[in-house]
Amino acid sequence: MKLTDCELRKGDMRSAYGNALVELGTINNDIVCVGADTTDSIKTKKFGDQFPERFFNIGIAEANLVSIAAGFAIAGKTAFASTYAAFLPGRCLDQIRNAICYPSLDVKLVVSHAGLTVGPDGASHQQIEDLSIMRSIPNMRVLAPADSVSVFKIIKNIADIQGPFYVRLARPSSEIIYDDNDSEFQIGKANILQDGSDITIIGCGLMVYKAIKTAKILKEKFHISARIIDSYSIKPLDSNLVIKAGQETGAIITVEEHNIIGGLGSAVAEVCSESHPCFIKRVGVRDTFGESARDSELNILLEHYGLTEKEIERAVLSTIDKLKK
Amino acid sequence: MRYLDLKRKIQEIRINAIEGIAEAGSGHPGASFSAAEIMGVLYFRELRHDPSNPTWTGRDYFINSKGHSAPGYYATLAVAGYFPKYEMKDLRKFGSRLQGHPVRYSKLLEHHSVPGVEYSGGSEGIGLSVSIGIALANNIDNKDNNVYVLIGDGETNEGQVWEAAMTAPKFKLDNIIAILDRNKIQQDGFTEDIMPLDPVRDKWVAFNWNVIEINGHKVEQIMDALNKASEVKDKPTIIIANTVKGNGIKHMANNPQWHGRAPHNLHIPLLIEELEGEILIAPSIIAGEKENYEEKIKKVERGGADIIHLDVMDGIFVPNVTFLADTIKKLRPITNIPFDAHLMIEKPYDHIEEYINAGCDIITIHAETCDNEKFCYIREKVMSAGISLGIAINPQTELPEWAYSYLNDIDVIIVMSVNPGFSGQKFIPDITSKISNLNRTLKVKGYKGYIEADGGIDASTVQRVYDAGARIMVAGSAVFSNSDINTAILQLKHKTNVTLERNLLKKADENSVRKDWIVARKHILIPVANELGIEDEINRL
Repeated sequence: MKLTDCELRKGDMRSAYGNALVELGTINNDIVCVGADTTDSIKTKKFGDQFPERFFNIGIAEANLVSIAAGFAIAGKTAFASTYAAFLPGRCLDQIRNAICYPSLDVKLVVSHAGLTVGPDGASHQQIEDLSIMRSIPNMRVLAPADSVSVFKIIKNIADIQGPFYVRLARPSSEIIYDDNDSEFQIGKANILQDGSDITIIGCGLMVYKAIKTAKILKEKFHISARIIDSYSIKPLDSNLVIKAGQETGAIITVEEHNIIGGLGSAVAEVCSESHPCFIKRVGVRDTFGESARDSELNILLEHYGLTEKEIERAVLSTIDKLKK
Repeated sequence: MRYLDLKRKIQEIRINAIEGIAEAGSGHPGASFSAAEIMGVLYFRELRHDPSNPTWTGRDYFINSKGHSAPGYYATLAVAGYFPKYEMKDLRKFGSRLQGHPVRYSKLLEHHSVPGVEYSGGSEGIGLSVSIGIALANNIDNKDNNVYVLIGDGETNEGQVWEAAMTAPKFKLDNIIAILDRNKIQQDGFTEDIMPLDPVRDKWVAFNWNVIEINGHKVEQIMDALNKASEVKDKPTIIIANTVKGNGIKHMANNPQWHGRAPHNLHIPLLIEELEGEILIAPSIIAGEKENYEEKIKKVERGGADIIHLDVMDGIFVPNVTFLADTIKKLRPITNIPFDAHLMIEKPYDHIEEYINAGCDIITIHAETCDNEKFCYIREKVMSAGISLGIAINPQTELPEWAYSYLNDIDVIIVMSVNPGFSGQKFIPDITSKISNLNRTLKVKGYKGYIEADGGIDASTVQRVYDAGARIMVAGSAVFSNSDINTAILQLKHKTNVTLERNLLKKADENSVRKDWIVARKHILIPVANELGIEDEINRL
């Protein structure tokens, strides 16, 4: 897997989503898109501009939104339903469970503004429970891409796979991790971004970039060789790859912009503890609500809630220390 | 589907539903029964669908949003042929395809669902939104298929219903026809006590829907509303179907206790007898004072007639002249109550097309005017027009041998209890045993249609013919000699009810459930206890 030089380019996940939808719409007449008064922000409007007859703004009515998407799927369409992460998994859990997941309908829930990095809007909008909620519904698959390249490719992938998906995007521009041409994202797989033997760091979403940066520091300052895995597919999880990493490096640090309960860290701990238990340390929001911060203060916000390179570094060092004893 | 055949199918839906619920020991009889006519009309009269090809792309969609009416929904699908009726006994059992609430059928869920189910119900308030998605998809594909969605009145407590109510008019979805099962009862009690819904009509009008309000137990009103809905452009339609929860079984009707309770298995034969015991009163408009037929039709419509009996007499077959097909055609637009045309004419064979085109729902011809060949011709014409076919026999006539080979196609047999020709004649007592013998013979031969008693039926004779097996009662003078037609009709129904209750008690004895039955049905039996002679027994309980 070829990686780009992370520092060079930034990409907007939402635009990548919008562009992917337009491409899908061009080649597949059965793609429809429904929005809930956030279509400009989420860039699904791009699809709407191109295909107005297949684009529907339902207004601020999310339960209605996802149920209408279910109706489209019943009539043979592949429906993308999008709004902010804060308003789908919780507010529409029942509709997602009963109307979409139970009959395993072809509905793709793609949400943006997940995690603390929503920033100024505060805790009401900082969705940090969605991975946990969505993961527990049978038939649902849960994805959290790390950059705009993976968003684009993942959206195009899932359009061809029947059944429900929950895809979580972040509001801020992401550093570009992946090369456009030479990267692959299969559902149920994870990508090893960098090999290492002393410890494994598994991340998802925006935290993958922070893991890569941390790995550099670990190498330079502490001569620690960290294996970095992008687990964009949280359900199904790439269990083999995760278990093997635990076996080979002895310990795993998980990093996610999510509550440490029920998300990526839990998924990793579940599979490891059942086959090859190893030491696992979860980095994430420690079961608390977030708060507002201006965009210029995002780093302070993340630092306060333990979502920085420094925090990952601390987790790695304390873990290695513990294992030595 | 022919009117009387449809009525029988709806009975079959109720019977299959209640048998399934009793066997399961739980389920929702109330909601299944309030929607039985709605589902029956949809599946046997309205929907474009194919039970042998459930995913046919040309089908109309039916979304059963009020998922707790599952037993009635499953029974409808079974009667329509989507799966074998015997599976109803597996309702709600482990390993059954008939889950407590309906599950959308797919390869993935084939062990938990049956073909034909489009939508997983159970969580309330979602189905109307889902229908919007289907309707929008049909518009994208330029398909003219409709989406019919059944919603409950308790269900409309859910806010999402009103989100959807706002959305469908935005997209001008005239391909959505919602039907509100307005039975006024939800789990905890009456809807207006739990969460008032009225003025429900005004609400939907304010949300910019085309609103049609009907009696949801009258199939002709449901069909009429559906026809009107399909003519409306650029607006969704909601049919507010005023219904009675538990309709069909008197002690369950309008009783919140029966929202989600199963009857005892031993009560089932009694419940079936009650369901099959429903009678239809058919006032004959040639009776009474000479006034115009339009007036009389309007009067009996207001008075609660089930069907309208039209005595067609040509002065040749009978010594009297009333009216012919042209008059029926003129009368047709006045009402949507089914027209029961009884052709007392010498040559029905020559005129059958005229009566088909006049808008009759039931056409009955006299056995005396036919032979096998002629009847066969008439039968084909009448049936292919979707009209119920009947055969009538005079007091001295027995049902001819050749008629027995058409029992599957005959919806009604009129047994004349006077010599036809004039109204106001006296009932011939011997007819009772004729009906009862005929009924027995027909049952053995698997006849599913009705027996109709015609001539001299009034409060003093109706119980006898009911007991003998007649379920359609032509009432002439008995209705029109009373200044209040509604009272006259109710009196006839009351009389047959008493007979029914007596028969049910007899059956309760046979099944050793008399005490239990009287307890369950106490509030129904108290008003007729005197006539049944069970006052002391009830007082002791």
